[in-house]
Amino acid sequence: MVLAVKARDLRVGYVDEEENILWAVKGISFEVSQGEVFCLVGESGCGKSTIGNTITGILPPYAVTEGELHIFDKLVIKGNQRNYSGIRGRVVSYVPQNPGTSLNPYQTIGTQLYYVLNSVYGWDKKKSLDVAKKYLSLVELDPEDTIDRYPHELSGGMQQRAAIAIALSTGAKIIVADEPTSALDAHLRLQLIKLLMKLKESESLTLVMITHDLVAAGKICDTVAVVYAGKILEKCSGSNVIVEPLHPYTQMLADAVPLLGFKRHLRSIPGEPPKPDEEIPGCVFAPRCPLVFGKCVEPPPYVKAYGGEVACWRYVSGAKQ
Amino acid sequence: MVPSNNLIVSLKDVVAGYTTTGKGWRSLFKHVNVVLKNINLRVYDGERIAIIGESGSGKTTLLKVILGLLKPVSGRVEVLGKEIYRFSWSERVNILKQIGYVPQDPYKALNPKLRVKTIISEPLESTNTEPEEIEGRVREVIRMVQLSDKILDKYPGELSGGMMQRVLIARSIIHDPEILILDEPTSALDVSIQAQIIELINNIHKKLELAILTVTHDLGVAQYLSNRAVILYRGNIVEEGYIDEIITKPKHEYTNLLIASYKASI
Repeated sequence: MVLAVKARDLRVGYVDEEENILWAVKGISFEVSQGEVFCLVGESGCGKSTIGNTITGILPPYAVTEGELHIFDKLVIKGNQRNYSGIRGRVVSYVPQNPGTSLNPYQTIGTQLYYVLNSVYGWDKKKSLDVAKKYLSLVELDPEDTIDRYPHELSGGMQQRAAIAIALSTGAKIIVADEPTSALDAHLRLQLIKLLMKLKESESLTLVMITHDLVAAGKICDTVAVVYAGKILEKCSGSNVIVEPLHPYTQMLADAVPLLGFKRHLRSIPGEPPKPDEEIPGCVFAPRCPLVFGKCVEPPPYVKAYGGEVACWRYVSGAKQ
Repeated sequence: MVPSNNLIVSLKDVVAGYTTTGKGWRSLFKHVNVVLKNINLRVYDGERIAIIGESGSGKTTLLKVILGLLKPVSGRVEVLGKEIYRFSWSERVNILKQIGYVPQDPYKALNPKLRVKTIISEPLESTNTEPEEIEGRVREVIRMVQLSDKILDKYPGELSGGMMQRVLIARSIIHDPEILILDEPTSALDVSIQAQIIELINNIHKKLELAILTVTHDLGVAQYLSNRAVILYRGNIVEEGYIDEIITKPKHEYTNLLIASYKASI
């Protein structure tokens, strides 16, 4: 089994104006196998996008890192040293959250693809546009019709596909997609899910999806990592995230999802996630957890339970006595 | 609350779009790209209605027409019985003060340089309301949206996404409108905050007894925020009815596809 991504006790923080480090990711370890669809789910501000940006190699200069991150065989992060040469863009590529605002409104889709291909391979415009058409076909857009269009002339679903075409055009084998389905209606979401699954097979891609859409995560992901306050609270198979969630946080997230044709009381999670500068001793979810008990003042270990892995004292035998 | 027969918003045979011109000498010629085609819509006092459609279906254009920002090519647009596009801009604004509006993305919709207190009180600034009364109303609506008075002196950048959305809702109801229009109220929020905002909107509906028009692409959210729904597809209303009936027995091909896609993706 080839590992596409391997993180060991990875910490990522940002230095504020007073030179304090605000840790957004607080010591996480995970592995993503080649060809796997790996999802990061959780509330806004829990560190999902920081993990995605770390894998992609687009952390800002004021970011601080600790631990290790491997992309395939290359060690890209060791402590606060970061080296993404040959990785960023070439091996890992990024599909942004909102293609409507991240595509350049002044350039046609063809020109945007040309700039990427020219910078990666040094190809001239003619060859770049020929290859660009191949990638537009790959994402099921009509290349002749799309290549000369500006982003505003495309629908939301088409913009999303164009952004995926740009990400694929570098020949990247790991695609990090930030909230790819959140702005799409049910029909376009299903089409996008099918497209991503098709591309995963045809292009041998590894997908890292960042989402708060538990339904999409459950449908397409091989593994789901539930992130909260910069830590991974649970790792489970995609199908289990809604059907058999382990951690109370995952259970509450699943209870908050509106499901069509099944009108139940939506339970929201009271309170808000802690701020990055807030240090919580013990379980980070304890202040909001309805099932909290005495042992939760200590940091919970990761234990294997029901085919998943969970950081919760409720699954540690004897902890509740 | 049972909806009454009082019409709050009425659109009759509305055709609307955007005027475009060519480059160079072609700029002498104007062309209207029609986005909404023959729209008929009635929103009654106290009802909860959802407009559901994909990106590019004309949802935002429809909102612009109702909000008095885009004069239709043809058709009648009435708000509280007044045909708004027959009035001057200043008169139109006075009629439209009966509408509360919550824009799509709370992260972009709030002025980052204004304190929350100023943002919420903005709709009352142009009225003759006394400062003490404005202060009282601000505190009243901030409690209604379940926020603490302490955030009134903060800037939007200091708030979470859910708090920002609550501030936008507080601003939209401070002037006691007859109808609240919400543009994708939960699409920028995660599921937990989404559930909180859905509950909040429904509580406001019960308390203030106003009409609520929600624009969304999410059928799952629409079933919690509306009793009646309108399905918009490529600028046409292709289906209209009670949301539960639409979900269980969709009549139009597009609605069927939308529901089948939703079920296939779970």
